[in-house]
Formats: sequence, C-alpha cells, structure tokens
Amino acid sequence: MPPLRELQNELLEAVCAVDGAAARPAAAPRVAVPPRIVPAHGLLVYRANVRANFLDSLHSSFPALWRLVGEEYFRQLAREFQRVHPSRSGDLLHVGAPFPAFVAERHRGGGYDYLGDVARFEWLCQEALLASDHAPLDLERLRSVAPADYDALRFELHPGLRLFASPYPVRRIWEVNVTGEDSPEIVDLDAGGESLALLAPQLELKFHDLSAGEFAFFESLRGGAAFGPAIEAASARDDAFDAVAALQRAVGAAIIVDFVNPGA
Amino acid sequence: MPASAGIGLRAPHHLELLRQPPRVAWLEAHSENYFADGGAHVECLMRLRERYPLSLHGVGASVGSTDPWDREHLRKLARAIARFEPQLVSEHLSFSSVGGTFANDLLPLPYTEEAVRHASDRIRELQDHLGRQILIENVSSYVRFADSTLSEWEFVAAVAAESGCGILLDLNNIYVAAMNHGFECRDYLAAMPVGAVQELHLAGHSRVEIQGQALLVDTHGAPVCEDVWALYGAALARFGALPTLIEWDTQLPTLAVLEAEALKADALREACDAAAA
Repeated sequence: MPPLRELQNELLEAVCAVDGAAARPAAAPRVAVPPRIVPAHGLLVYRANVRANFLDSLHSSFPALWRLVGEEYFRQLAREFQRVHPSRSGDLLHVGAPFPAFVAERHRGGGYDYLGDVARFEWLCQEALLASDHAPLDLERLRSVAPADYDALRFELHPGLRLFASPYPVRRIWEVNVTGEDSPEIVDLDAGGESLALLAPQLELKFHDLSAGEFAFFESLRGGAAFGPAIEAASARDDAFDAVAALQRAVGAAIIVDFVNPGA
Repeated sequence: MPASAGIGLRAPHHLELLRQPPRVAWLEAHSENYFADGGAHVECLMRLRERYPLSLHGVGASVGSTDPWDREHLRKLARAIARFEPQLVSEHLSFSSVGGTFANDLLPLPYTEEAVRHASDRIRELQDHLGRQILIENVSSYVRFADSTLSEWEFVAAVAAESGCGILLDLNNIYVAAMNHGFECRDYLAAMPVGAVQELHLAGHSRVEIQGQALLVDTHGAPVCEDVWALYGAALARFGALPTLIEWDTQLPTLAVLEAEALKADALREACDAAAA
C-alpha cells in the first residue's frame, strides 16, 4: 500500500490540475471506483470547488477590477493566475497578494497599463481595512517635546496606512466601479495621476491626497527614518514641503499615531 | 454551549444580526474569516460575542495533511481563540494541502490504519498547541481511495478514540457520502461513540448530474432535506440533545430563513424530549 503522503499528492494534483488531465481517472489511479460515482465526476466536483473558492476570494478582493474587465475576462485572468500562484495558505484572504503584479505584467505596454494599478489600489484598500486600529496621537505629549529633540523623533504610523501613487486617476476609476451604477461615468485616463495615503481608522476607509513632498516624507518615516532625515528626504523631492503642516495633517488624519523620543 | 440550535455566521448578515438579533441559541463562525489583525469583521464578532455563545469552526488548518503545520495559521487560530473565547473549537477530518499547495477544499483521507495514526497525532498536536480539546468534523466526499481498509465511520471513531478529540457530526455530510458511496446512514450513526459527539451540523445539499449520472454535492445552499431531518431525529435518540448548527453558505437566504430552520430543529428536539419523557 502506498504511503499516505503519496495518496495525498495524487489526489491534490488531480483536483488542482488546471488542464483537462484530472478529468480522467487515470490521472489518479488510486482514487477508488466506488459503486455509485465515476471517479472523474467526483474529481470534477473538487476541481470546481478549488476554482470557485479561489475565484470568489479574488472577486471579493478586486471588485472594481472585476467590473472593469467583465466577468469572463476576470475568470480567465484568475485561472491563469491560479496556475502560476496557487494558494499557499489555508486562509484564502491572502491569495490575491501577488495578483496586482500579475495583472500589471500581463497588461504592460498595451492600452491597459492602468489595470495593474487598479488592482494594486484595491489590494491596499483591503489591507487598510483589515489592519488593526490605533488610538490617535496624544498631542500634549508631542507639545512637551524639547525643540532640540525634534530631529531625532521617531514617529509611528497607523498600522493600516498604505501609500499609493499612479500616473492614472485610479481612485476615481475605483469609485465609479464600486458604486454599482449601471452606467458609470467615463473616467478620462489622461486626467492625471495621484499620490494618496489610504487608511481606515475606526473602520472607515479614508483617502488623503499627498503632495510629492508628503509622499516622500511618509515613505521615509515608514522606512524607519527619524523626523529630521524624513524632512530632508521630503524637501529633496519638493521645495515647497512644509514639515509642520505635514505633521499637523498627519496627526489629524491618524496617519501618525505615536512617537518615540530617543532624547527624552 | 446550549444544547439547542444555532446558525452559521456569514458576513452579509453581520449588520442585521447586530440590529435585530434573531432568536437563535448560538453562532458558529468560520475561524479564518476572523483571522485579520482588525477591521469590521473582527469588530463585529467581538460585539456579537457579547450576545451569543460562540463556536469557531476552522476550514483551513489542513489537519490530516502530511505537510508540516502552517505555523502562521496556527498562530492566528490561537489568537482568534484568545480574542473571541469560543465555547467550542472545531476543524475537519480531512486534508487540503500537500507540498505547500492548498486546494482550500476539504479532501478526504484514505481510511487506513496509517491515516488513523497520522490524523490522531496531528489532532493531539493541535490540541496541545491550542491548550484545549477540539471537535473534528466528518466531511462530505465525492471520491474514495482504493486503499481504504476501514469504513468511514470506523475511521472517524478510531481517530476520536486515539486522539481524545470530540466529534462534530455533520448529518448532511453523512447523508451526502452515504448516497454517493452507497452505505447506510444508520450504520454510521450506530458506530459513533455517545459522549464523544458534542455538536451536530445540519445543512442542505444539491443533486447534480454529470453526463447523466447523479451525485450529491454538499453545497450548503438549500434547506435541510427531509431525509436529513429524519437522521437528526435518529441522532437525537442516540446522543441526546446537542448544540445543533444550521449551516448555509451559498445562495445565502435572509436571517429569517435561518432562524426558521433553527426553530424547526429546536421543535424536533423538544418533540424527541417529550417522547422520551
């Protein structure tokens, strides 16, 4: 009798096969011929489940992309994606993580470059919505910091903060496609790109348009930079960067939620 | 956990459950749906948890797999248990992964002595990791292994005895497997150890035809059928009153429909109690 692992391999390969081979009993010779079921039919049920569960997860993570490209093409994309990136976890929630890169690569150079950005935006929205929340920053604590310590402050960003930039008006594309209207407005792809902070404090998804300086500032903070070096990085990108205004805005929007003062 | 009927918690019902809590005795949530660090689903379950007794029911741990455990999955499961403090925790007696690839579906094990030992070892490991007893559910199946040397009920009973886990007996799964593979549901029930069975599942299934041949598929997308209600009566007679779940996943109806199915289960249980008294 073959060992358990061999039997498991055979059945899993048969049900996960994306070509037609699994529909033939020869593909899984040890799957029994029961009195009432043709094994190929049983395998088809599992294969349908494997595909449907995977597709459902992608659909719920990327509803705007689904609407943009239509069900038929989305299904085709999902099937191709599943072949390259089969699920590696018992929790399907994360199965779509490599999907934006896959969609981007698949449409690079054509007239549909923006599809990858839409997928990336949707994935970041999901991440923001599933992150833990954090209480707002205690402003009194911040006010009590000595000016000499400012440059070395290390700010903590909201756990759900995601930064997004695209040459396309992706947020608008997303909005008109998740509202569910029958005739969504036509979005001008050349209407200009965007840089956004997105996060969901108190369970509500919020978007904040960022200047080039602010984007660089939050990127630096996220990379572990202290306040001083983050200001430098932002100013290098944007002459008009105003650190005090950026900080006030970030605290008000719960983008910055805490800090450590190494000088204290 | 109350020995009466609860319903499966599904995200489309979250808000309605909070606004107009139905008269059901308890809720069962799929563990993985509440694995996130935060967010609306986690928040909702925290609030529902205050009102209803809770069971956490896992579909993704791949208990019967010959792969090493997915440690991240176990960490999140342990965190969900610590967070939501469920009365019952259950998983499936099946596998869904080999070589790191997941089918994300419940695949049957071969019913062999080797598989009994392996599944029992894994369940013991999981129970040790979680610091509590778990229940293990029998699954529907559409294929069998030629190498099986035990019946499915011998297999389930042996794993429960060897691992010390409880049994979550899904009566619809027994029915679907019985119809597909050709065995008697009552033989299955008679082999289940009284005392080990701590929860029952009721659900609907679909009959599909592939190239003119019918088979039953466990879709959780229809009312409980009459034959499964009859099986419920037989289960109550054998095991006594138990927490009983109405499970519905596809073509999800309104909460009122689930509540009505739960009330029907409770009425049947009360009738059995009265007959026994």
